[in-house]
Amino acid sequence: MVKLFISGFGTVGQGLAEVLKIRRDFFQERYGEQPVVVGVIDSKTYAVNPDGLDTDAIIARKMGTRTVGDGKYTDSVEVMDSVDYDILIEVSPTDIKTGGTGLKNITHALECGKDVITVNKGPLALKFQDLTELAKKNGCKLRFEGSVGGAMPIINLCHENLIGEHIRSIRGIFNGTCNYILSKMDKGQTFEQALKEAQQLGYAETDPTNDVEGYDAATKVVILANSVFHRNVTFSDVKITGITGITPDAIAQAAAHDMVIRLIGEISDNRLEVAPRLIPVGHPLSITGTLNIAQIDADLAGPITINGRGAGRIETASAILSDLVAIMDARY
Amino acid sequence: MLLNAELYVRDLPGQLVGSLEPISMVDGNIIGVVHDRERNINQRIMVSVTFEVANSKKLEELKAIWKSRDIIISKMGSVYQTCTREFMMVGKFNATYIENLIEEASTIVNLESTDVGYSSKNQSSDKRTAMITAEVRCKEDLDKLDEFFADACHRDNMLYIRGL
Repeated sequence: MVKLFISGFGTVGQGLAEVLKIRRDFFQERYGEQPVVVGVIDSKTYAVNPDGLDTDAIIARKMGTRTVGDGKYTDSVEVMDSVDYDILIEVSPTDIKTGGTGLKNITHALECGKDVITVNKGPLALKFQDLTELAKKNGCKLRFEGSVGGAMPIINLCHENLIGEHIRSIRGIFNGTCNYILSKMDKGQTFEQALKEAQQLGYAETDPTNDVEGYDAATKVVILANSVFHRNVTFSDVKITGITGITPDAIAQAAAHDMVIRLIGEISDNRLEVAPRLIPVGHPLSITGTLNIAQIDADLAGPITINGRGAGRIETASAILSDLVAIMDARY
Repeated sequence: MLLNAELYVRDLPGQLVGSLEPISMVDGNIIGVVHDRERNINQRIMVSVTFEVANSKKLEELKAIWKSRDIIISKMGSVYQTCTREFMMVGKFNATYIENLIEEASTIVNLESTDVGYSSKNQSSDKRTAMITAEVRCKEDLDKLDEFFADACHRDNMLYIRGL
C-alpha cells in the first residue's frame, strides 16, 4: 500500500484527492490496491491517520471551516514526522522569493528518503540542483511534471519520450494569465481593461505582479533549463521583461504586419529569457486564451509542439497523477 | 556555391533537358528552373536555372560543357539567401532617433534592406511604436542586430519586442 502525505490542501490538493477517487478502478487494476492518503496539512491545520484518511470528509471540512483537521501546527516537519508515508505530494502555495514551506517540506522528505511529487515552482526555481542532488544521494525520486504548463506534459515528454534527442531549444507560452490579457488586447481592449477582466474571471490574482511582470513564466523557464537542459541556473539568471509596457499602439502595429504579441519563455544553451515577442498570426505560438503551449526543437525529431491547460484543479492534478503512476510503476 | 544562370538554347526538342543535364554531370544540384518561351531571340529561348555546384572548378567545367553544346550563357550571378526579422520598440522617441539607430546598426551588420513603420502619436500616451523590418544575409547578423537593438532599448528605457 502506497501512503501519501499531501502538503497543501487548496485547489490542487483537493483536485488530487478527487482524481485519486476518480481513478480508483485504474489503481486497483494496475496495482491491485489503492494509494491511501495518511496525512494532509494546509497552512495552519493538519489531519493524520496511519490507516488512511477520508479525503471526501476533509474536502467537505475544508470548504466549510477552511481547516483540514482539528490539529494545529507550528512546524510542518513535525507533522510529517508524526506519520509513516512513502510519497510527499507538495502542493502548497508557491513562494518564489524564499521557497517557503514548500522548500522546507520537500527538503525534509528527501532527507528522510521519501519520494516527492511537487507542482510548487518556488523551491524548484530556487534550489533545483540542491534538491535533485539530495534526491539522488538518498535514492529518492523527485518528480515535478505539473510545475510547468499544468496538464501539458512537457517535462516527462522531454525526459522520457525524447530521451535520445538533443533538445536545442524550447519556446513557449508558460503563463495563461498573460496570454489571456494579450489575446484580449488583440481584440481592442487596453491592458488595464483586459487585466480587470482576467481578475474578475479568476485567471489573475488581486496582485497580478508575478504574472504580468513575467516572474511566474521565469520560474518555469528555470525549471526547464535545469531539468531538460541540465543547466545550473536560478531565477536571477533569467532575463525578464513583462507585458505591462505593451500599448494598444504596439498591438495595432503588430496586427498591421499580420502578427500578434505574446509573452514567450525561451530556453536554449545560450538563452534564458521571458519577453514579449512578435509572433506571426497562424504560428503555433500565436495561440489565444489561457492555454499554455511549448515548441520543442529536437535535433532528430525537429519541432514538436504541445499545448494544454496551464492551470486548474483537475488539470494540474492530472500531472501529479502521471508522476504518481511513474513512481508506483517503479515500486511494483 | 549557389548561382543563377540565364541560358539561351536552340528552340528544338530536347534542348531544355540538354541544358540542365550538364549540372548533374558536374555533381551539381538544380534548385529551380524557369523556361520562358516568350523570350525568343534568334530562334533561341531563355532558360533561367538556379543551381548549386561544389566550387569554382566545377563551375568552369559546367560552363565548358554548355559551350560545347552550343548553349549561350547570357548572364550568371551568385544567389544568396537572406534572413528577415521584425523588431519593435515602444517608448519616447522620434523618427530621427530610429534613423540614427539604423545607421549605427548598418556599421555593425550588412543590412540588405530595412523598413520602418511608426505609430502616430496619440493623446492618451506620449509613447509611440516603431516597427523595423530588417533583412540581412545571415542568422548571425540577425543575432547581432538583436543584441544591438536590445542594448539600445535598455539604455534608452524603451520596451523592446523582437520577432521569433
